[in-house]
Amino acid sequence: MSSAVQFYVTILLIYLGVDAIACLALNLQFGVTGLVNFGFILFQAAGAYTAAVLTLGPSSANGGYQQYIGGASLPFPLPLLAAAIVGALLSLLVGLVGLRRLRTDYQAIVLLAVSLIGATIATNQVGLFNGASGLSLVPHPLADVLNLDPISYAWVYVAITMALFLLTWLLVHRITSSPLGRTLRSVRESEAVAASVGKNVIRLKLTAYVLGGAIAAVSGALLVEFITAWSPSSWLPAETFVYFAAVIVGGAGNNLGAIVGAALVPVAFIEASQYIPAFGRPGLIESVQWIVIGLLIAVFLWVRPAGIFPERRRRYAKPHPAGDGAQTPQSEPVLPSG
Amino acid sequence: MAQAQVATQTMLSVVDLHKDFGGLHAVDGATFEVETGAITGLIGPNGAGKSTALALIAGALKPTSGSVVFRGNDITTTPSHQRARQGLVRTFQLSGEFPRLTVLENLLVTAPNQRGDSLARVVLGKWTWKAQETRLLAQARELLGRFELADKEDEYAGNLSGGQKRLLQIARGLMAQPALLLLDEPMAGVNPTLSRRLEQHLLELRAEGLTILMVEHELGVVERLCDHTIVMAQGRVLAQGTMMELRRNQEVLDAYLIG
Amino acid sequence: MSIVLPAIGFGLITASILAIAAVGFTLQFGATNVLNLAYADTMTAAAFIAYMVTHAGLSIWIALIAGTVFGAVASYALNRFVYVPYVRRGTKLFGMVILTIAVSIIVQFGLMAIYGSDFYNLQSSSGSSFKIGPFIFTAIQIAIILIAVVAMLAVHLLLTYTKLGKAMRATANDPDLARDCGINTDRVIDLVWLVSGALCGLAGVVLVMNVTGFDVTTGNGFLIPILAVAILGGIGQARGAMLGALVIGIASEVAGAVISPGYKTVVAFVILVLVLLFRPQGILSEVATQKELAA
Repeated sequence: MSSAVQFYVTILLIYLGVDAIACLALNLQFGVTGLVNFGFILFQAAGAYTAAVLTLGPSSANGGYQQYIGGASLPFPLPLLAAAIVGALLSLLVGLVGLRRLRTDYQAIVLLAVSLIGATIATNQVGLFNGASGLSLVPHPLADVLNLDPISYAWVYVAITMALFLLTWLLVHRITSSPLGRTLRSVRESEAVAASVGKNVIRLKLTAYVLGGAIAAVSGALLVEFITAWSPSSWLPAETFVYFAAVIVGGAGNNLGAIVGAALVPVAFIEASQYIPAFGRPGLIESVQWIVIGLLIAVFLWVRPAGIFPERRRRYAKPHPAGDGAQTPQSEPVLPSG
Repeated sequence: MAQAQVATQTMLSVVDLHKDFGGLHAVDGATFEVETGAITGLIGPNGAGKSTALALIAGALKPTSGSVVFRGNDITTTPSHQRARQGLVRTFQLSGEFPRLTVLENLLVTAPNQRGDSLARVVLGKWTWKAQETRLLAQARELLGRFELADKEDEYAGNLSGGQKRLLQIARGLMAQPALLLLDEPMAGVNPTLSRRLEQHLLELRAEGLTILMVEHELGVVERLCDHTIVMAQGRVLAQGTMMELRRNQEVLDAYLIG
Repeated sequence: MSIVLPAIGFGLITASILAIAAVGFTLQFGATNVLNLAYADTMTAAAFIAYMVTHAGLSIWIALIAGTVFGAVASYALNRFVYVPYVRRGTKLFGMVILTIAVSIIVQFGLMAIYGSDFYNLQSSSGSSFKIGPFIFTAIQIAIILIAVVAMLAVHLLLTYTKLGKAMRATANDPDLARDCGINTDRVIDLVWLVSGALCGLAGVVLVMNVTGFDVTTGNGFLIPILAVAILGGIGQARGAMLGALVIGIASEVAGAVISPGYKTVVAFVILVLVLLFRPQGILSEVATQKELAA
């Protein structure tokens, strides 16, 4: 492969990994637990900003052309860990206030409003994250340790991304195939009935929200450490809906659906547009992309609201017919399949 | 001596309960007790406050004043999910199931104190909760068998018929191992055959020691099942006793006629 | 105090625009229980219609009428041909919220595909300035306030004294009961969308009459303030929306003057979040009903 093709492939894979991680997080919040987190992008952004200001050196360096808090020059993977913690804390804060029992659409706009408030603060409080211009020149993690050429470094980063993706998948899979996953789904199905069977609904919602927020933050951190720049235009509140489109198209409530959705919507679709020759005025193609996102959501909600890979019906293995159903040591584990 | 006996036999007592909605006094000073091991009926004309009283007991609503005492503990401010954990389980008139969980899962999710509900254990792996899950599966399947829902175990609960959903709610309620089961019009809209089957189940449950408080409109059901019946009207307790006694009570007859 | 006074003046203008928009929104929401998040983008579309009219050489008043009519027709069509079919198909509440966002995206970026990201204006001069009390208003600004007052009066008369108005209130209050009383709720809902859509279109034109330039995102920036006003005033309650518009309109302008211009909208957002969390039934209603709590 020529180096240009290689570089393109690595970028594609990194975006795929980042978006898949983000979609798994949104799926946990929305698909499994029913939280209509219209402010999702805020948490990815929080992670990106945290990682950026911790990886960068002090703001006075480089002539002080960008202002920001932090500047600790921390080595990898500390900024990513910090991002996860910040994502978790922010989710906790927002969740404690915003996740009380409220009709779905009101809850959705509360969460949307929170991300808009966040965007306004980030843009206007220039001292925080350099305002509208955003942060740039974020050093690549491990760059000086590894000392590689750009292509090789990119492949290393792909490996890091994939490792984190696998870790995320392992975590969400364990949750969704466990009694906890079942309990979260019961909260989605009916909060009132869940409470009547003894479930602490607010604590469960917060658990999904905080976990999802932490994972979303990690995805943001992962992205910024590679593309080295982050500004409010990277995380318009509307970006949340690209992820929603991905989860809906892929299949809400299904982890595989979330991954496929990530591959189809943010990645393939937006990357594919790179191949369409530029026509019309600048920005026309971008508008068309967004129109297609809207249409995709609308069409799927009509034709196949469950998505390409709907949430799987869980069947529980039955005990051996021999004997009185008691488990023999070599019997099949009696666990949900899938 | 009689006082002490009454105290241990009282599963639930409601004392001077009030619930106001703006200007509407839905429950206006209701006081009654539910005896352990008995089926108690709560009847009354429309608007009497029965469903509101049930919601207050279950914790779905907070009373304006008054108290609810369950097994000797004041639970007036206890959140509803904790009441369920203490053994006070309710059913719903409509939409009492988790539609997109299977029938089996509807039961499984109800079991209290599941090890697999803890995030820490889930992250550590299946081995921390597998054994308990196996036991719960057996328990759930046994209940399904008992309520003739065994062949529906993998069906989405939302696809069941109305009657099957009723059976499911009761089966699920039992999975929580309740001390007191609150039933909200269990026979409403149910065909006579299924209604008889439900009655049989409830009688069996009482024989096993379960205490039941039942809001019901079908007076025939109340007559057949209830050891003791409370009549509410306009937010207050009008009279109490056996159905036979109540039928002879002029105030009760008037309340139903005026309704 | 010297920056606050003109801010209050601007607040009155913002309040006028918000009032028209929010009353339309609250009627729509009250009658059909659908949170139409595409409302603000419909306003933008109406603004562009007005732009085309004025650039064809016609007067601003024709542009106002054109925008209003467009809003009415577009909103009616949106409900009848998009929202109602989805609801009939069984789409649940959170599906519908996402659908309205999808429509909002399609409209906004549809406009962007046509008009790009440039800024446009209606090419009408602001007219001479007048001093009224402590405030200085241009002719256009006075026109906006007057249009708002007339529109609010018209809505009030419609709702209180006409048969249609009463049917609308009944349908918003309890659709099943209204149907049982012989009200053709489907037709009433169509008419609600026509009337509220007209207000939406009118608000869109009025919004851009007062600015030096607008683009495809201008309406969208008003969505949250409109929501804030409608919910603060109580859904379906036109009078509450008028009151809420005054509160939020003036509060945001004063905040913008006292803190910083970027924070104008934050005030509306914060009020919205606070109202939804602590008093979702609005300032006028008495009690949070099941309508406001989780379905």
